[in-house]
Amino acid sequence: MKKKHKEESSRSAYLFMLPALIIYLSVIVFPIFYSLYISFHSGTGIGMMKFVGLQNYVAMGSDPVFWQSLVHTLIWIALTVCITMPVSLLFAVLLNKYMPGRTFFRGLFYFPSIIAIVAVGIIWRWIYNPQLGIINSFLKLIGSSYRQTWIAKPDTVLIAVFFASLWQGIGQPMILFLAGLQSVDPQTLEAADIDGANGVQKFFRVTIPLMKDTFVMVLCTLVISAMKVYDIVKALTDGGPNNASQMLATYMYNQTFAYNNVGYGTAIAIVMVLIMMIVIVPYLIFTARENDGRKAK
Amino acid sequence: MKNRFRKVLTTAMAGTLAAGMLAGCGSGSGGSQTADTAAAADTAAAESTTSAAGGDDLVSKMKVDYDGEPVQLTFWYLSTRSNSQAICDAWNAANPDIQVKVSLYDTDGIKDACKTAAQSNSMPSMWFNWGGSLGQYYVDNGLTYDLTQYAKDNDWESKFNSGALSLVNLGGQVSGYPTSYNVIGMFYRKDIFEQYGIEAPTTMDEFDAACAKLKESGVTPITTGGLNGWHPMRLIEQFIEYYAGADEHDKLQALDESWDTDAVVKGLAKYQEYCQNGYFPDGFVTASPDDTKMAIETGTCAMDIQGQWYDAAVNTDGFDASNLGWFPFPNGTKRMSAFAEMTQFNKNLSDDELKAAMLFTEKWFSDDVSTVYPDDFNLPLPYQGAEIADPDHQPHVMDMLNYSSENGTFTITDQALPSECADVLFSGQDAIANGQSTPEEVAKNVEASIESYKAK
Repeated sequence: MKKKHKEESSRSAYLFMLPALIIYLSVIVFPIFYSLYISFHSGTGIGMMKFVGLQNYVAMGSDPVFWQSLVHTLIWIALTVCITMPVSLLFAVLLNKYMPGRTFFRGLFYFPSIIAIVAVGIIWRWIYNPQLGIINSFLKLIGSSYRQTWIAKPDTVLIAVFFASLWQGIGQPMILFLAGLQSVDPQTLEAADIDGANGVQKFFRVTIPLMKDTFVMVLCTLVISAMKVYDIVKALTDGGPNNASQMLATYMYNQTFAYNNVGYGTAIAIVMVLIMMIVIVPYLIFTARENDGRKAK
Repeated sequence: MKNRFRKVLTTAMAGTLAAGMLAGCGSGSGGSQTADTAAAADTAAAESTTSAAGGDDLVSKMKVDYDGEPVQLTFWYLSTRSNSQAICDAWNAANPDIQVKVSLYDTDGIKDACKTAAQSNSMPSMWFNWGGSLGQYYVDNGLTYDLTQYAKDNDWESKFNSGALSLVNLGGQVSGYPTSYNVIGMFYRKDIFEQYGIEAPTTMDEFDAACAKLKESGVTPITTGGLNGWHPMRLIEQFIEYYAGADEHDKLQALDESWDTDAVVKGLAKYQEYCQNGYFPDGFVTASPDDTKMAIETGTCAMDIQGQWYDAAVNTDGFDASNLGWFPFPNGTKRMSAFAEMTQFNKNLSDDELKAAMLFTEKWFSDDVSTVYPDDFNLPLPYQGAEIADPDHQPHVMDMLNYSSENGTFTITDQALPSECADVLFSGQDAIANGQSTPEEVAKNVEASIESYKAK
């Protein structure tokens, strides 16, 4: 009797899942496999595509712009992990303490996140403008003859674009960290106090270990968004000068839509997915283990 | 405690979702402003603009005779023409049987939007485009209505100026309705030239001397914005025209001759010399080409290489175009760089839809509308014998067009080269400006990209 009821309930569960599954398969799974299929072809995306096997993937090996884009994307990921994450944690810690105007400052630091990235690009293009930008105007005001042209120089453009992105992107991880900080049990911190731990010890030995879930989530979302960075680069430099800020996503887009090399562009997209899997798969394994661990307890 | 975490997290996620939606609203498709999201606000703004500028008068002028079935059309156009929504609203008010939804994109946004739509088989009924390789793609892939027979039946040869009509003739077919014919010359601030005793140059030596004199006097000679590459390219193509001459340059543009040639190298070397001499503003390689006129208007730069539409562009900013002069670039051949703009039509339009779309296009690009919003058009309209209504308002237009008629034109480089080859040239321009590549290397790279394109 019980078994029959269980079977019926499972069937119902599957039926309820069906609409979501159909949507998931049609808009997520099918396009991924179709993209993989296209990546083995050449053509403009309209009409017949010619099967070329692994030729698109082989061509990447001798394409200097692809390698430049890959290196820039990896640098961007490293900058995101090493700068965006600690800075947003720092802001979260500061804004987690009670102080006058705390709610205002939380809103203030979160505010850039709600601005469209294209608008952020335009704002920062003006900030960096060598003739009329605020930075050079300030330098002039204080009597300095130094003039910056950061987004026009190949050795500084990537960092300059990254800082524009940092200004815009800090709010979301900050909010997640803030949520994580507020989930730490005050009684545990009190216990650490009684045990004689100082502020730094409490932070590194109690707070951070208790925020493990939050760290994993923030790290993964940041790495994935860094891998896909597109809008800010497009708006601020269009990948220039001379591909010095070209990213995998912008190059993939150019190949697919500007140059009509749909097969090659899609092959780049597949490589991006594979690189992202390096982050996502361990994240999924970690999450699954955590869930199993909780169930066992 | 967990509940508290969940609450905070849920609030944060909801905030993030809302922010994403807000961001999405503002950033669609490369600077686009689609009718879906902007229509309500734009309609209100447009209504006030329409009533201010054209009002009921424009609506009454928009009325056309149409005896077909009611149709709904879509039109993708440029957001840089600021009264487009108002014009479309006036059309819709006057013609209930032909309703048109306009979506506006910036200069580079519309190229991306159309390519993306082409690959997903979702082209609009009509879209703005340029001639050359940019328009050719839609012809090659069978996406545009072949207007050859329509043009014959309606005697377009007597209707349009021959330059415009030939530039929209792609792949042996009339691929669009010509909406403007543009030629490019050198605009300069008359007061700055006068202040430093400089005459409009007629030879390359005089042009070099003028640049040197301006630089010595603390004025940046030429404003340019290399963000998308095509603005500095306008100078480089003039240098190549100077060193190659008309015949060789035409062969280069037609990809019939190698770009790894002496004339191209010399042209790029001249550009390198100008970069090294500081004849362009600091940081120009990633400056927006839309902002170059600001340097002219504020007087920080003396010259800008632009088309006859520049009068309208500076007028829109409240800067009087009569403060500017122009001269043809002293390239030795007297030819001017030229390009056409057009409206292309979806090949899947029914007979009624084509008829309606053609009526809409003819009305939009007519004196009825261009006299109300002159700064929204690259005047004169590309019809035979067309004049501009107010030459004092746009003083250089007819002079430039007449000069080009007398001395000939060549196709602008980014419409002559395939996009992927033009982008290699643009990257090369940046590399030369930043000292990363030599002119010889850039010429070789462009030629390699052409070979690779031909081999596809």
